[in-house]
Amino acid sequence: MNIIELSEPLHEIIFFLLEIGIILGSLGVVLLTNIVYSAFFLGLVFFCISLLYFTLNADFVAAAQILIYVGAVNVLIVFAVMLINKPHSSKIFPSWTIGDKITFLICLSLFSLLVIVILNTPWADITLITESKPFLEIHFTKNVQRIGYLLLTQFLLPFELLSLVLLVALIGAIVIARRENLIGTNKKKELQIEKNPTVF
Amino acid sequence: MLEHILNLGAYLFCIGIFGLITSRNMVRALMCLELIFNAVNINLITFSNSFDTQETKGEIFVIFIIAIAAAEAAIGLAIVLAIYRNKNSTRIDKFNLLKW
Repeated sequence: MNIIELSEPLHEIIFFLLEIGIILGSLGVVLLTNIVYSAFFLGLVFFCISLLYFTLNADFVAAAQILIYVGAVNVLIVFAVMLINKPHSSKIFPSWTIGDKITFLICLSLFSLLVIVILNTPWADITLITESKPFLEIHFTKNVQRIGYLLLTQFLLPFELLSLVLLVALIGAIVIARRENLIGTNKKKELQIEKNPTVF
Repeated sequence: MLEHILNLGAYLFCIGIFGLITSRNMVRALMCLELIFNAVNINLITFSNSFDTQETKGEIFVIFIIAIAAAEAAIGLAIVLAIYRNKNSTRIDKFNLLKW
């Protein structure tokens, strides 16, 4: 079933390395003072997550993750950081206020709650329930074929709406980020052009 | 293996929320939002790999979430740039633009 046939210990080692990359990378995103380092750590986290998708048999989503997140979103964030960023204090980690500590405690309790719930859920029973479902009429051997079939039959309306959302977001981002005084300068130029013949 | 990856998703989600609440910089808040999206995606992929090997509808949901997240990042960074041009700062607590 696996795309990449790997022995069990090798699989475990790869998963362990990816986990270390994700944990340290996300800590770096949150805790570092310099936001440029945070942006690059975010790229590392996205890359490790896409490799994790490969180990979970989701090759199309892994490729989409690399292309969209690492290639588009992360580059966009790095551009924004470099447009905005100013040089500031040389401290690596920022000092924590009381609110930060309270938030840390809340997030820690949330995490422990989630871990307790995950460990107490009998996942093996759910597997038995889902095994008894009827199979899909058409069997596809490849992941990409299956995704394409479902996207153009069962999920056609959300798929088309998604393209509309992307178009609206593109136009909206351009309209918001454009300099507003551009229109004013254009009007001034037009006025100057109109004035010039009268000077003549 | 399943619980392991679910724990990883829970960790990523919690650290995303922590960063979203405590960050003073607007761009860092957007980064933490992306971390939360990725935690959700990891959970969806894991469940579709474990329990829905026939149809893998979780992967389709992940594709939708990735597209929405890309649109959200573009809009968010455009808003940050626009506010930075007006206020000359990206600190969240200086964004007292809303009157109500």
